[in-house]
Order: sequence, then C-alpha cells, then structure tokens
Amino acid sequence: MLTYIVRRLIAAVLILFGASFLVYILTAYSGDPLADLRQSNAPNREQLIQQRIDLLDLDVPPILRYFSWVSGAVRCVVPFALTCDLGNSVTGIEVTQLLGRAMGQTIMLVTAATILAIVIGITLGIVTALRQYSGLDYGVTFMAFLFFSLPVFWVAVLLKEFGAIGFNNFLSEPNISFFATMVCGLVAAFLFYLSTSGALKRRLLWAAIGFAFAFGLVWFLDLVGWFLTPGFGLIVVALLSVGIAYGVTLLTAGLKNRKALYSSLIVVAIGIVAYFAVQPLLDRGTLLMVVLLGIATVLVGLVVGYFMGGYDRRQNMTAAGLTAFLMGFLILLDRFMQAWPAYFNNNRVNGRPIATIGASTPNLEGDFWVRGLDTYTHLLLPTIALMLISLAGYSRYSRASMLEIMNQDYIRTARAKGLGERTVVMRHAFRNALIPLATLVAFDIGALIGGAIITEQVFAFSGMGQLFVQALGRQDLNPVMGVFLITGIVALVFNLVADLVYSVLDPRVRVKA
Amino acid sequence: MRFGRTSKAVGVAAIAALALSACAESGGGEDPGTGGEGEASGGAVTVAEVNPFTSFNSDSATGNVDINSKVSYLTHQDFYYVNDALEVIRNEEFGTYEVTSEDPLTVAYTVNEGVAWSDGEPIDAGDLLLSWAVQSGYFDDENPDAETGTTYFAYAGATDGLGLTSLPEISEDGRTMTLEYSEPYADYEIAFGILDTPAHVVATGGGLADEDALVELIQTAPAGDPESPEDRPELQTVAEYWNTAFDTTTLPSDPALYLSSGPYVVQDMTPDQSMTLVRNEDYAWGPEPALDEITIRYIGDANAQVQALQNGEVDIVQPQASADTLASLEAIDGIQILEGEELSFDHIDLNYSGVFEDENVRRAFMYTIPRDSIVESVIGPLDPEAEPRNSQIFDIGTEGYDAAVPVNGSEEFAEPNIEEATRLLDGATPEVRIMYNADNPNRVDAYTLIAESAEQAGFTVVDGGLPGNEWGAALGGGTYDATIFGWVSPGVGVNGVPQLYGCDSASNFNGFCDEEAQAAMDELIVTIDPAEQQELSITVDTRLFETGYGLPLFQSIGINAADEAVQGLTFNPGLVGVWWNFWEWSVA
Repeated sequence: MLTYIVRRLIAAVLILFGASFLVYILTAYSGDPLADLRQSNAPNREQLIQQRIDLLDLDVPPILRYFSWVSGAVRCVVPFALTCDLGNSVTGIEVTQLLGRAMGQTIMLVTAATILAIVIGITLGIVTALRQYSGLDYGVTFMAFLFFSLPVFWVAVLLKEFGAIGFNNFLSEPNISFFATMVCGLVAAFLFYLSTSGALKRRLLWAAIGFAFAFGLVWFLDLVGWFLTPGFGLIVVALLSVGIAYGVTLLTAGLKNRKALYSSLIVVAIGIVAYFAVQPLLDRGTLLMVVLLGIATVLVGLVVGYFMGGYDRRQNMTAAGLTAFLMGFLILLDRFMQAWPAYFNNNRVNGRPIATIGASTPNLEGDFWVRGLDTYTHLLLPTIALMLISLAGYSRYSRASMLEIMNQDYIRTARAKGLGERTVVMRHAFRNALIPLATLVAFDIGALIGGAIITEQVFAFSGMGQLFVQALGRQDLNPVMGVFLITGIVALVFNLVADLVYSVLDPRVRVKA
Repeated sequence: MRFGRTSKAVGVAAIAALALSACAESGGGEDPGTGGEGEASGGAVTVAEVNPFTSFNSDSATGNVDINSKVSYLTHQDFYYVNDALEVIRNEEFGTYEVTSEDPLTVAYTVNEGVAWSDGEPIDAGDLLLSWAVQSGYFDDENPDAETGTTYFAYAGATDGLGLTSLPEISEDGRTMTLEYSEPYADYEIAFGILDTPAHVVATGGGLADEDALVELIQTAPAGDPESPEDRPELQTVAEYWNTAFDTTTLPSDPALYLSSGPYVVQDMTPDQSMTLVRNEDYAWGPEPALDEITIRYIGDANAQVQALQNGEVDIVQPQASADTLASLEAIDGIQILEGEELSFDHIDLNYSGVFEDENVRRAFMYTIPRDSIVESVIGPLDPEAEPRNSQIFDIGTEGYDAAVPVNGSEEFAEPNIEEATRLLDGATPEVRIMYNADNPNRVDAYTLIAESAEQAGFTVVDGGLPGNEWGAALGGGTYDATIFGWVSPGVGVNGVPQLYGCDSASNFNGFCDEEAQAAMDELIVTIDPAEQQELSITVDTRLFETGYGLPLFQSIGINAADEAVQGLTFNPGLVGVWWNFWEWSVA
C-alpha cells in the first residue's frame, strides 16, 4: 500500500512537470502579448512595449522562461522548503495572493452546487432505478438530459431574467393571480401523478391531493403575505419535524423499530422546547455559534438514541441524530426567515433581494443573519445553474449502478432470506451502488477548485476560472500557471484518493503494492 | 481514558470560552439596515466597470489600467481636466499655470494655498518635483543596446515633453514650480500633472527622512546621461517604492497609501468585487460633487452588466458595445442610453512601395473603397446614423474635424468611384495583398467589402488575413501591400501626429514620407498656439489624402447606459469615459 502511494506520488510529480511545461509553452505561443500596443499610436509606444517586455520577460524564449518559473514554483510544492514564489501578475500583484482569493470565491460558488447535485442526483438515480421504465423514470431522465444539454450561459441569463429580475419585480407587489395559482396546482398534480405508481385511479387520487395541496399552499402563502415576511413559526416547524422523524426512521430503521421511532419523536419534543430556548441566543448569532449548536443538536440526538436502548442502539442513534440535525436545520432556516424583512428593507438592498452578480452586496451592514441572507441571495442563482447541469451525471450513474446491483445474486439471496424491501434496498443495494460513484465524487471535488469559467463570468465571480481566462487573454503566464498548478495537483491527488477509497470501500479491489 | 483535574478544568474553560466567543458582541438584529447612507443627503450611485482595480499608482507600468486611472480621477485634483469635447479645461481653484516666456518656452505652475492631501499635508514643492522627476525621466540613463544604466521610475506615460525641461526652479513657499523647455513643445499644456502618489509618502517609504529630503535629493542628484551611467542608490530605493508599493487589490492598512487630493476618498475595497468611495471632507479646491458615495463594481461580462442594471444592482454601466448589448438595453424601461464615437478608428493604409509605389495606383485603390457600406455593415447595427470618419488626424465631433473635412480632400472618396479607378489603372490589373486581423469580424467584413469593390476596378485582391496573434507582428514587415487595422487616437494633443506620419517614425508602417507634410509636422511639434496647430495639422491631413496614404474608415461606437434617476451624464470618448463630469452627477 505504502509503496503504491509513493509510486503514484512520484508519477504525479513527473506528470506535473511534463504537463506544466506543455501548458506553459502552449500559453506562451497562444497569443501576442503586445497586440494592443502594436496598434497604439501613443508617442511613447516603444517605451510601453519595452515596459511590457520587461514585465513579462518577453525577451527570454518561453522554454527558458519556463525554467525560471519552475525554479520558483518548485519551492511551493516541496514541503519545508523555502518561500513559495509563483511570481507576480502583470499588474504587480503576487500570484499566491491572487490564487488564495480566487480559490475562496470558487469554493464558495461551487461547493453548495456540488453537494446539492450529489445528494439530489443520487436520490433521483436511486428512485428512478427502483421505478425503472415508469413515468417518473422517463420524466426524470428527460429533464436530466434536457438540463445537461443546455448551455450554462443561457440558463444563467434566463435564471437572472426570471429568477432575479422577474422575482424582484414580483416582490414589489406580491400578488399571485388565480391563474398562476391554478398553474402551480396543475404542475403539482402532474408531478404527483408521475411519482406515484399503481392503478390509474390511485394515481389520479394522488394527483388530486397534489393539486389541492399546492393550490392551497400558494393561496395561503399569498393570503398571509408570506413572500414579504416569510417564516415557519413553531407549528410548522413541529409538524415538519414529526414528518422528518417518521421519514428518517422509515429509511434508517423501519417504522417497526419502535425504539428508533420513539427516539426520533423524543428528539422532536426536545427540539420544540429548544426552539424557544435558543431564540434569544440566536439573536446574537455567529457562524461559530451555529456550528457549535449544530454539533450539540446531533449529540443530543445520539444521546437520546443511546438511552432508548433496545436490541440495536445504533439504529436508534442514527435515526435520532439525523432527525435532530434536520430539525436543527429547520429552526435555523426559520431564524433566517425572521431576518428577511430586515434584509429586504435594508437600504442597500432596497427591496430587490435576489442578486445577479457578485458574492455580496457592497457596504451592506447587518448582523450574522442579514449577511447570511445576503450570501444566500447572491449564491442562489449560480448554484441553481451549476446544479442543474451536473444533476444528469449523478442521476444517470447512480441509476445504472443501482440497476446493476439490484440484479446481483446477493440481492436475490437477501430477498430469499425474507428481508424486507427496505432492508434490501437501503442496506444491501444502496450502499453498494454508491461504490462506483466514489470515483465520480472524488473527481468532482477535485474539479471544484478548477472553477467554473462560464458561470463565474456570467455571475461576475472572480474565481479560479476568471483568473485563468483573464490572465490567458493578457498573456500573463504567471497566474495561468498558478491556476494550472493548483488544478493539476488537486486533480492528481483526488485521482489517487479515488483509487484508494475504492479499494477501501470494495474489498474485491486491492491495490497492488 | 482518565483526565486529571487540571486538564478537566482547562477543557471546561476552553469550551466555555469557545461558547462565549460564539456570541456576537453587540446584540445583533437590533439595528440592521441603517448603516451606510445614514447621514447621506446627496445620494449614492453604483457604477459597473469592466476591469478590477489593482493600483493606487495609475502612472506606473503595472498600475496603468483604465480603472486605476478612473479611481485616480475621482480621488485626485489637478491643474486641468479634459471634457467631453476633448478640450483642456483649467481648474483654477486647484492651481494655475501660465506661459511666462515663449522663448525659451517657460511655464510656471502654482498650486493654490490650502490645497492638501487628505492627511493634511499640503501639496507643494515635493509633489511638484516628484511629479516632474517621474514624468520627465530626468534621471534615467538606461542604454538598452549597451545594457547599461537604469530606468528609475517605471512611468507609463510619455517622457518626451518634460524630457525637454531642465531641473525646475521652486519658489520659496514651495508652491510654484517653473519649467523651462529647451525647445518649444506643442503639447505643453498636458505635459505636466500632479501624480497620484504623495511625495511625503514616497519619501518616507523610499527610506528618506521626510519630504524635504526628497526635494533635496531630486535637486542634487545628477541628471541621467545614457552615455555615462551612474549609480544613484537613494533614488533607486525611492523609485522602487514608487513602482511597487501602491499596487494592491485590498484596502491597505496604512491610509498613507491611498491619500486623496480630490472630491472622493476610498473607504472600502472588496478585492475583485467592488470599491466604495465617499466624500473627501477637506476638499474645497474644485467642483463640489453632488453625490455622497460612489460604489464601483467590477463586471466583465457585457450582458451581466446589462442585467445588473435592469435588476437595480448598478446604476451606470459601460459594457463592451455590440448590437446585442444595444438591443437588450433598448428593451429595458426606465434607463437612459448614451452612445457616441470612441477614440479608436479603423483605417486602411497603403504601402508606398511594391504595387502601390505609383501614386495613381494608390488613388485608384482608394476610389474603390466602399466606406459607406463598411460603416453600414460594421457599426450600422449600433448607430444607424454613423458616418465614415473623414480625417486621419482629427476625431469626429472636435472643432478641428469640422474645419478639416471640407478642405482635406476627403470628399473625393466619400463614395466609391469605380470609373475613376478604372481610368487611373488604365487596363492594369495590379495584385494587392491585404493584411488584417482575421479573428476580428469587423475587419473581415471590411476586407470582404473592399476586396469585392476593388476587383470591379480591375485589382486582383489577395486575402492576407492573419490570426489574431500574428497580424500585429506583421505590421510594417513588407509582406503585404495594404493593411486594415485600428489606431487609438490620444484625443488631446498633437504629439501623436509625427509618431504616425513622420518619415521613418516608429508607428509609420507604410513608408509614407512627404516633404510638405514633414515640414508641417516639424513645425507642428514646436508650435504652442492652438489655432496654428490646427492649421498645420490640416496641412498634414490634406497631404495624406492627396498622396494616397489610404483612408480612415470609421470610429468605433461606445455605449453607456444608466438608470433614469441618475442625472448629469453625457457620453465622453476620452480616457475616463463617462466619469469625466462625475461632480455633476446627481440622483433624482
């Protein structure tokens, strides 16, 4: 194992050298760094050209320039070495500083989208695999491929047009017409129809329920002016939490496991008390506090599960812990909603909350919740855009993997033993179906750092993609190579991690030492 | 696992401390949303810019980016500014300059009393001298061929104007500096300005005791002579500080690095995202701005700028002009669109050698150029009323342009005249290779139209288009007979004229050399009277058309747009764009 890792790492270093040389030379020959000055008729044109030549070392042939770059860059890679030197950009800013900031922006932009795409994509994949060739399967497949094939810049422009400009206009006079309410109801009815199975009568009944639910919800939200003063309130939090408790128990332990169900419900009861207890504390909220409270919440869940005892404490603890976490999330969401009017009426936001550009509103002043909402309104659209296009990959992979697993002999064996469908799917099939996805997830997390060039451009995020493209346009090699170095290292490392994880997850795969 | 009492206590204390520090200090949520414009009365606007800010020294080689100059324009006052008609307007509240003698040309600059940086330090001798030292390149003794000597200040502007001056005299109160030129210099008015960088900051940052030491240093250090380079270690440190210390994308912790002498001062910077400027409370030497706060947001994508304007996130946008951008702007209610000619113009130049050695062939070719069609196809979608540019030297909309066009002979080429071209060719079928940037669709359009028209008159046109990264290097290389490309006109000043049209000058790619034009240009650069300058420039312009230099095609179109509530905006082709009259902006 160790020799394997060492061998891979040595190979990775060689690959990095080779690839960086290629990228450097290709970039150096990709354009004319003096193009704009050549058509300048400034009296000091020669002087400006000379300055640019000095700044970019253009009088040194690219091959030699590469080695001078590498001699500085090597010090970043070798641990315990001298200071890292990736050079300066043409505007005189250190590349390491540029990279640090760009990485932060990119990670902020892409993390939520990637996590959501993984969670939603896998869920959709599993569900469609279990309902293969149903209306739901075809519907999801169609939508996934549709989104996959849409160009992201176009999706982004549409999202801005309707999700930001249109929605903000709506918020200035939030009245939903009867027609729109009907449409919402019909869409819900259609979705319910697709996602249920069985006889036509049963599905139509579900569609009717869906219609009534959506129609009623939209009508009610409109009536109480929810869009301007959103919130759950204790009752909704409690109802949703009970639902979560049942759902989580169903998936993790099965409703027959009464101990697990009761632990989840007890956690919900504690949560309702805690809802009141933490409100004054949350008013003084910080990120650290939210994280600590989150940890505490999960701990409470685990403790409750542990003390419920029973034949399988672990199941209790999982169910109660998950319920606690999700309920805590609801309470957090509720608190953010309470801050909405303050954010909405802030004179920097001025009643147009959903943003089309950037990562934050300049000069916004406010507490943790207002700033949190500001980040949310800025990340909402890019996250949706990125998520939509990457859903397809995950859902298709997990669907294929799940289908394959469901036809395995050991699934038949499990069924033959008399295990319930829940246990077969959740325990035997689902977990194994995730193994091939480990590679995909590892790669995608690696790709996170590389940035999303077009999305960053359209939403005016100055992340890695923008840094790369802009530097490339100016023939500014140092930032280009800085981005390459980070992306290259991350790709190689996560490649290695994917292989190692695979062998850990699947005992049939062994790395050869 | 067992824990000792102490470690338990430490653990409990640590957790308690962590929990306590998790609370926001002030009772949050009490007072959100009253910050920012609390005491504002004049309002605030947000402006979108394409490039992110990188330096508080927009005069240096690294800081020479448009956005840095614009921020400098907001935060610095100077002896003059350039208005939207490209005229030099003096700012006498800041200081005055006057020609005290025409032979030798002597100009005295006086900063008014009370004019100071935002830390209270007055603008006087040190600032005047440092600005002069940088803009004159007085100490530079680099000889690039012999690789000896040093260029001290990496100044991005031209040093040829102040390079003619000797070490200036400073008055006793330090507020007046007198420059004496060794020969008359036509653009003396725009040759000198106060730099972004306060002398007292540069002095201490560059290792000197104070501003006086810098004054002393500049007055005593030997003038640069490339023939006999010398070391000036003290000046070297000062110059290095000047070259690099002001480059930053975050707000420096030391306020000395972003001092203001103008209406606004930088308050906040979010790297690569935005910058906020607020009133400089001490400022009282120039037009008083109406707005209390200006926020600049960096949005590279033109469409993103338009949608941000539509969503109310920005109030003024300056997107890259294109027909799509214009169409989407026109679809928005409640905004104003400002359009106008920018300073860059496309032109076709004919070599004075090869197939075009004969003036008749050149003129014949010029007669075939369909400028109307080119304008219609390239910038028609942006401005249906756009007209071809009819002068090589003057920019559309200036006084000189209106004076030059009727007399410079451009009228002859207003419409293609195939008959005249055929007559001049007299049956010959010269082969013309036209070089252009094949990656630029506008140039490809122009080439296609020109080639089509020229072939009607009997020319054989060869497509010499080169990829975007190669065509620039091919300029002046003699591998083509004609070339289509663009110049960026400086807008103000006449010094650029001989740069392009002087015999053997650096940017003269087609080998134009005409005695009459050269004589006019020689006189032009030593003439300081604007009326005479215009006469001489018209002479050059006329000779360019008469001798068959080629033809100017069109000036590019720029587009700005703004929320209707913002008042006082006009289109400005100059370097600072829409910012030129920011003090007149107000919010309704």
